[in-house]
Amino acid sequence: MEKKIAVYVCAGCGIGDAIDIEQLSKIATEENKVPICKTHQNLCSQEGLKQIQDDIANEAANTIVIAACSHRVMYDVFKFENCIVERVNLREQVAWSQKPGEEDTQMMAEDYLRMSLAKVGTMELPEPFQPEGEISRDILVVGGGLAGLASAVEASKAGRSVILVEKENELGGFQKNVKKIASLPYKDIRDNIIGDLIEAVSSDNRIKVYTGASVEKTEGGPGVFDVLIKQNGSSAQHKVGAIVLATGWEPYDPEKLDKKLGFGASPNVITNAMFEEKYQEGSITRPSDGKNVANVAFLQCAGSRDPNHLPYCSTVCCITALKQALHVKEQNADASVFVVYKEMRTPGQSEDLYRKAQEAGITFIRCQSPEVIVSDGQVSVEAEDELLGEKVLLEDLDMVVLATGMVPVSAFGPDVAQEEKEQGEGEKKEEEELEVPLDLIRRSNMLNLDYRQGPEVPALRYDFPDSHFICFPYETRRTGIYAAGGIRRPMGIDSTMKDAAGAVMKAIQCIELTARGAAVHPRAGDMSFPEFAMQRCTQCKRCTVECPFGAINEDEKANPLPNPTRCRRCGVCMGACPERIISFKDYSVAMIGNMIKAIEVPEEDEEKPRILVLACENDAFPALDMVGLNRMTYNPWVRVIPLRCLGSMNLVWIADALSKGIDGVLLLGCQHGDDYQCHFIKGSELASIRLSKVSETLDRLALESDRVRFETISIIDYDKLPGLLDEFAEKLDEVGPNPFKGW
Amino acid sequence: MSVRVDPNLMKELEAFGLKDANKCFHCGNCTAVCPLSTPENPFPRKLVKYVQMGLTDRLVERSEPWLCYYCGDCSDNCPRGADPGETMMVLRRYLTSKYDWTGFARKFYTSEKFEIIAVTIVGILVGLAMWIFHAGNPNMEHAQLNTVWPAPAIEIGDLIMAGVLSFFLLSNTYRCFKFVMGDLRTKIPIKIYVRKAWELVAHFLTQKKLGECTDKVQWLVHLFIMTGYSTVFMLVVIFLAGGIHVIGLSWDKIMFQRDVIYPFFHPVRLLGYYATAALLYGTTYALIGRIKKRKAPYKNSHGTDWMFLILLELTTFTGILVHFSRLLDLALTTYVIYVIHLMVAVPMLVLEVPFAKWAHLAFRPVVAYASAVKEEYLQGETSQA
Repeated sequence: MEKKIAVYVCAGCGIGDAIDIEQLSKIATEENKVPICKTHQNLCSQEGLKQIQDDIANEAANTIVIAACSHRVMYDVFKFENCIVERVNLREQVAWSQKPGEEDTQMMAEDYLRMSLAKVGTMELPEPFQPEGEISRDILVVGGGLAGLASAVEASKAGRSVILVEKENELGGFQKNVKKIASLPYKDIRDNIIGDLIEAVSSDNRIKVYTGASVEKTEGGPGVFDVLIKQNGSSAQHKVGAIVLATGWEPYDPEKLDKKLGFGASPNVITNAMFEEKYQEGSITRPSDGKNVANVAFLQCAGSRDPNHLPYCSTVCCITALKQALHVKEQNADASVFVVYKEMRTPGQSEDLYRKAQEAGITFIRCQSPEVIVSDGQVSVEAEDELLGEKVLLEDLDMVVLATGMVPVSAFGPDVAQEEKEQGEGEKKEEEELEVPLDLIRRSNMLNLDYRQGPEVPALRYDFPDSHFICFPYETRRTGIYAAGGIRRPMGIDSTMKDAAGAVMKAIQCIELTARGAAVHPRAGDMSFPEFAMQRCTQCKRCTVECPFGAINEDEKANPLPNPTRCRRCGVCMGACPERIISFKDYSVAMIGNMIKAIEVPEEDEEKPRILVLACENDAFPALDMVGLNRMTYNPWVRVIPLRCLGSMNLVWIADALSKGIDGVLLLGCQHGDDYQCHFIKGSELASIRLSKVSETLDRLALESDRVRFETISIIDYDKLPGLLDEFAEKLDEVGPNPFKGW
Repeated sequence: MSVRVDPNLMKELEAFGLKDANKCFHCGNCTAVCPLSTPENPFPRKLVKYVQMGLTDRLVERSEPWLCYYCGDCSDNCPRGADPGETMMVLRRYLTSKYDWTGFARKFYTSEKFEIIAVTIVGILVGLAMWIFHAGNPNMEHAQLNTVWPAPAIEIGDLIMAGVLSFFLLSNTYRCFKFVMGDLRTKIPIKIYVRKAWELVAHFLTQKKLGECTDKVQWLVHLFIMTGYSTVFMLVVIFLAGGIHVIGLSWDKIMFQRDVIYPFFHPVRLLGYYATAALLYGTTYALIGRIKKRKAPYKNSHGTDWMFLILLELTTFTGILVHFSRLLDLALTTYVIYVIHLMVAVPMLVLEVPFAKWAHLAFRPVVAYASAVKEEYLQGETSQA
């Protein structure tokens, strides 16, 4: 495409008061010889837009540079078909956050225009990726329990064909052992709905069910998944567009519990799951002799919220205990029923069930660590009641029910990274260049992905394969695979039903976006994708190791095999590649490099240092916008370049900046770790790891490592930014000007 | 030592009026808002816990039910509708029955049938006695009560009644004191008991703790009933015949039951009017409050609450009628109403004072006193340590 650049400078929203627009236009017209450069008092008005549209139509302008507000606003207004559109943020990050009319403010505005012009010089219009073969719009649901069945029904209702794979011979999962359920609105205990769901799935001709089957292999990516299903020795091949992972959970193994909870010491000590089976069989009887029960104690958090067992709360055991206690009361109103709890967790309307149980005369004892005592076959419980401040003794118990928690199926099986480590023990690795922490992936036989990074979806905390639960619900860290129900986090029936709908919706969105060649959330709609200049690849595996989404496979010679439909377009691979062979049409190492090179660095005696800020465009960049929005002022030496993710930061940019004479580089990323805020999970973490390598580079350039700093910032901390930037500037002042200035 | 849990206490307490204690989930709002609860002696939450856990032995030792004056703040602020104030009220009933060694109080509280029959029987007995025992030639022309039932004779009846009542009330009060003091009863030196004795009197006369509650109206109403009742009690028991006539210690200038009506500004007549007005106001206020369930302490009414108020109201009302028929000099009317007056007043005293609601007149000040003694002793202990 022959680029014809047109620059439009807006003077509205206070930009004209802060900046000399005429002077600024000269950067385009005189310095860069841009053919079209116009100014307008209000560029987003119909008149302003018409001016641009006319130039596109009549002057064949196709590369539009809008010097106005932040790219985070008015993106739907400044949208021109088949044109490269670049936004220069004069409003939030210059006019609103710098002192108006000052020389430094003008210089900043001019630099930003130069940088944008350099950027569009390297940019190309993205072309959507189309995978080989036809896009499948079918959905694979793995797991035939409540979550899986509900997902299948939801997908079918949305008009999708579904393939449902259940490992057992019957559908229903855990719920098929449950006779009655407590769910919204928790006024009463009611009959289980699982039968209706099984019926709905079995009679739906859009849903193909495989029971007693497993997914042997999953290849490809969104839109073009290829799954191999094994059933009774025979196998079937299916193409699907997206996958709902509903493999569910297992009750925590009671054999592993503390001995003081008494499991195994008496047959009358059972688990909540065993109680359900008992109730389904008929009446609630004493396991030792089958007599009806009159004295029952329920011990909550058996192994739950305990760092030695399950460190988390399974969210349903309290409600289940209330339900089961009411079953006992229903059978024998005179029975003495005790619930020994750490905290009763009955959120929302389930509180009504708690009330119901209280009114039924169930006794509640708050105790952090009860003890079951079995002597001569007699079972009693001793508990330190915190609300009483005394030890209480529950004697002659017919039955003690231990509330064991939920363990996701993904928690079983050997850790893949551990396996590899053991395998590679003999051959000592030489190039331990970057210690990138590996994801936890267990060989749990759910999807058997044919992915370079491991056969299953990676786990986040406590072995649950979730992403950030607020920003990315249902999303696993494998594109096109969405988790629902107990595999995602411990949850009850109501949440599972909602999860099923949510995950299916995500799956459908994924298929539709993929069919258009676009990225999924969080860069939904992005048409660009990474391209590899393979002739220069050194097979270093950095891209295949670091991709947070396992998008890149490897051939046997360690050449990267990208799967663009799995890609989320974060650019982590681009940042990782030491050979800089990975680039997007509109985002590349060269492009950012050119932007850095476009910054005008004044001579040392002018005493105008320059600070390059590489800011994550998801949190740090909007935080900088917020500073302007709140009319706070920050350091005028700063030049900001937004990055798709700080993980796409290539070290060469730091070298570029420092050799250009820029005094310091600040990397602004998101918080990483367990409570990560990164849109791409570990981008900022990777950036900080790469940065640890930078001191070496700096030494090579005879520069102080203080010049480069990494900070994490979340959008709500915008008010801390001016202070942070000033503090960095002061530090740089101490270090002294960059000796490379003027080279 | 671990305590044993008895879920059956809740069922037992239902007869005493317990309704919502099982709803409590121990947030402690009640204890936080209670103006009488202190960090050293927090209530009512803990008592609700004892009830839920069925710790009977523990409950009997507790002084808190008597330290609560039921302003209703706790119940108004309970997020769960567990009505802790009412639970405290129920505990007072329960404790009254526990202190009573005769077992009568328990029957009175747990069976409305028993309560009504007991009141009726005592009333009829009083009526019969008055029918049988009266002077030979009553004055049927002028209303002269002394010609039918001479004050000295009534006084003897009064004294017998007072003796019997005191015996039961004091023995029950002693048991209350024993339970509340526990082991400390004999450990605490006499001088602390003596030094704190004024607390007993002060609490008895002023109910100053109730004055610390948020709702001051309750204190005022209670003070009216209490002073009105005490005044009238003094008039009919001590001054009925102008003093203790039997042993010759009497002065007929202050005699309450006399046939010549005092001039309007005579102190005895004025006292009588104050007592009547105070009782009438206080009792009517409480009755209407209970009928309309006007505030938390009036929302739940046990059978004994009604019986108490009705008897008190009837006593007051018949007392007024006696007074007016005397003023009008209606002989027979006066005598008949007088009999009815006593048929209501005597059962109220005989049954309620030692065995039911009236007993709190002794339990409350004694427990307040005991708590003050204990506190002083324990403070000394800790400062020594």
